[in-house]
Amino acid sequence: MGVVHGDLMTLNIGPQHPSTHGVLRLKVKTDGEIISEVEPIIGYLHRCFEKHCENVSYEQVIPYTDRCDYIAAMNNNFGYAVTVEELMEIKVPERVEYIRVIVAELNRIASHLLALGAYGLDVGAFTPFLYMFRDRERILDLFETLCGARLLYNYIWVGGVSHDFPKGFVESVYSFLDYFEPKIEEYNELLTYNKIFIERTGDVGVMPPEVAVSYGVTGPNLRGSGVKWDIRKDEPYSIYEKFDFDIPVGVGEMGTVGDCWDRYYVRMLEMKESIKITRQALKGIPTGDVHQALPKKIRPPQGSIYKRTESPRGDLAYYIVSDGSPIPYRLKMRSPAFTALSVLGEISQGWMMSDVLAILGSLDIVLGEIDR
Amino acid sequence: MTVDNLINWFPFGAEWPVLTFVTAVVICAIPTFIFIAVYALVAIYGELKISSFMQDKVGPMGQGVGLHAAKWGLLQPVADALKLILKEDIIPESADKKLFIMAPFVVFVGAFISFAALPFGQGTIIADMNIGVFYILAVGSLSVIGIILAGWSSNNKWSLYGGMRSVAQIISYEIPAGLSIIAIIMLTGTLSMQGIIEYQQGTIWGILPNWIIFNNPFTFIAFFIFFISGVAECNRTPFDIPEAESELVAGAFTEYSGMRYAFFFLSEYAEMFVVSAVAATAFLGGWNSPIHGFMDGPSWSMFWFMGKTMFLIFTMIWFRWTFPRLRVDQLMSVCWKVFLPISFVNIFGVGIWNLLFG
Amino acid sequence: MSSDQDKLIAESVEKALQGDMDAINNIEDRVTRSKAKAALVKAKREAKAAVAEETPRAEKSKAEEAPQAEQTFAAQVAVALEKKFPGSLDTEDVNGHIQMKGEQWYEAAQYLRDNPDFLFDSLQCVTGYDYGTSEDLEVRYNLHSMTHHHAIEIRIKIDRNDSKIPSVEQVWRIGDWFERETYDMYGIEFVGHSNMTRILCPEDWAGWPLRKDYETQEMYHGIVVPKVKDGWE
Repeated sequence: MGVVHGDLMTLNIGPQHPSTHGVLRLKVKTDGEIISEVEPIIGYLHRCFEKHCENVSYEQVIPYTDRCDYIAAMNNNFGYAVTVEELMEIKVPERVEYIRVIVAELNRIASHLLALGAYGLDVGAFTPFLYMFRDRERILDLFETLCGARLLYNYIWVGGVSHDFPKGFVESVYSFLDYFEPKIEEYNELLTYNKIFIERTGDVGVMPPEVAVSYGVTGPNLRGSGVKWDIRKDEPYSIYEKFDFDIPVGVGEMGTVGDCWDRYYVRMLEMKESIKITRQALKGIPTGDVHQALPKKIRPPQGSIYKRTESPRGDLAYYIVSDGSPIPYRLKMRSPAFTALSVLGEISQGWMMSDVLAILGSLDIVLGEIDR
Repeated sequence: MTVDNLINWFPFGAEWPVLTFVTAVVICAIPTFIFIAVYALVAIYGELKISSFMQDKVGPMGQGVGLHAAKWGLLQPVADALKLILKEDIIPESADKKLFIMAPFVVFVGAFISFAALPFGQGTIIADMNIGVFYILAVGSLSVIGIILAGWSSNNKWSLYGGMRSVAQIISYEIPAGLSIIAIIMLTGTLSMQGIIEYQQGTIWGILPNWIIFNNPFTFIAFFIFFISGVAECNRTPFDIPEAESELVAGAFTEYSGMRYAFFFLSEYAEMFVVSAVAATAFLGGWNSPIHGFMDGPSWSMFWFMGKTMFLIFTMIWFRWTFPRLRVDQLMSVCWKVFLPISFVNIFGVGIWNLLFG
Repeated sequence: MSSDQDKLIAESVEKALQGDMDAINNIEDRVTRSKAKAALVKAKREAKAAVAEETPRAEKSKAEEAPQAEQTFAAQVAVALEKKFPGSLDTEDVNGHIQMKGEQWYEAAQYLRDNPDFLFDSLQCVTGYDYGTSEDLEVRYNLHSMTHHHAIEIRIKIDRNDSKIPSVEQVWRIGDWFERETYDMYGIEFVGHSNMTRILCPEDWAGWPLRKDYETQEMYHGIVVPKVKDGWE
């Protein structure tokens, strides 16, 4: 007995929609409720980041990098600063390294909170979104006392950071971590182990590891499929070697390995690991001057470099070609969400309309990073 | 004040029966309509505030009349209603005008006429029919037609999807609801709403009120089946796929704005009331007080009825802000594969229990 | 008076070098404070010069070792590629990348992915590159192996006016979007790609934005594309 196919209906989940994470257009061909093809159409937020970088100096690129992945701006700055420093062979003081790790991990927690909260909203759970945003606000308040900005920091500069920790910052970070750690249990009770949530996300949108690697998917999406790959452990940069933390991977607890629930749960566990790293860093932070190694004029020698760092969405890499002048000759940002979105068409075939949005939410994309 | 009482009260009742009947009905319908409107305002305010407190917010707050919606935001629903009434009436050009205009009214009628058989108190019921509960289940299905009309006439793929899903869901969930009611009717022996409540007077073992929910383990389960099916019939979370904001914008009602949208909204709250009222009547003793003899009697009956119904409405609101939503096929499989067999087992169980211990 | 001042300045500069700026900021007299700050800058400059003298030796030896290790690996890959596909290499490897010719790129990519010694199963990044106005274009591929943890960069130069290169979409599935982006920005056509359309710019945009000789078009669908942004507030 064959399956009766009607005509395929082409639907548009348009650029303006309450659920897409930014201006993204999905062209969906459905046969009733079952999806036969999903094509993401991007470019609505393209702001010519790479062309801009060819016209401004190296220091002036940093605010541009903020605006690419606006949810994890510290990590963008971090990646760029580390890349240029390796090109110029600058060694930053110890205190700067510790400060960078602390703010990068705090921003990782904030980014995961937003990703998980918005994911709950996509599947219909309104309350966890607000609870997670309440905690995210506390992190943003911390950042505001640190550098004056809540979302786009321009904080990590090539050779150092822009401001040192104000008085009492370390204590307030400690108190935030003590407040936040039991909240993760609260979220698990409310959303993660909720039967309806497991029905919606368990076994849905399974991404086999070979597909993930071939599509260049990295970060929590790849770890959700069982592949233990984290740049902080496998190609360490900055001082991540000094810290003791685990890499959570998906094991298929509520379904198949690599389903949406695994990707969601990996992010939840990563928040716990970030808390661990931050505590270790706060304990060991030395004194020093953060502006010591800031170069007067950034003029890297001729050459090219490709360096990868771990942002909350995956493997963020910068490819910089310098011709000896203070303005980059070519700067390419390899964004993790770009590759994550490209796999959407492959893993959502055969699922239903509601599942497409569940899968899209679990990939945690940010259009600013995809379109640059 | 039933219609019957009114007709008997009119001095010229025998001479102009039709006119008397119509007048009596109108006199009874107007308070009902006002009640629905006021109740909708209260329910909307309750939903705003309850959801805000559950989400660690405060919701609408204000300082006084005219200053940001009155103290504690009490005038917020009034402001909402005014806004909806004053909005521009937009009908899409390619929509089917007649059906588009008719749809909200059909949905509202379906919800409104069920109020005729709700027992608000001892002696306060508009029409004490001897087929009361059967009547409510029957006319509750009228709103389905309205939703189909809305989805189809909007000439919009998303509305069509939403309408179809909604209709499939409502029709499917009426079956477990009806079967659960049959389970309790076997005990009471009467379909009349007042009769069911009178059956539940008195106590079990002197302490527990003689409510049907405590009668029988099978009726206990039947209550939950009925209540959850009722939530599904009102298109509330976790069954609000038809109105899922994140997927279909507003489902079948995407193209509606202003007063037409207000009607859909109103009828959703009216249906919530009807479902809760039937659950309270059939399972929780209606206008009987939980403690026999204490605050009992015709003057307290309305208080108990409204209290139980409002508690069930509060539970529905609580569900909405706690659970994620079910996917359409999971929804349907829960109904047909889980609730339906349990309802059948309930009917057998109640019958056998009654035979053995009744 | 002045010796007290000098002592105060010296103390606060000491403290500030440790990282505690309060000592200088708390000096009441404005003249003394500015003198202290100037002394601090001078002390920092001397400290940096001292540090810079020590480290270059250590760093230079490290820099000498690393390229040697990389050269060995990149040289290995280059030798294997030349053996399997004679004539595909353009020049000998320089600074750890491999310069290739474009004709046999598809087969070479499959070989790199499937050969058990290399197993480059992950295409990390595809970058377009413009050598300058009226010079060649280039495409650079960064490959990485998840199993062996090694990485390589492959560069393929193409002519500006006839920019065609075989597509590796079927080898690494992410090639699909990466190549569309390079096409969008540079106008390099990837032969064999299933859907060679623009991805970031609108479908009917004219010109190749990241080329060095790119001129923005005048009008787009009746809207003037602004070139001069002076006076924008």
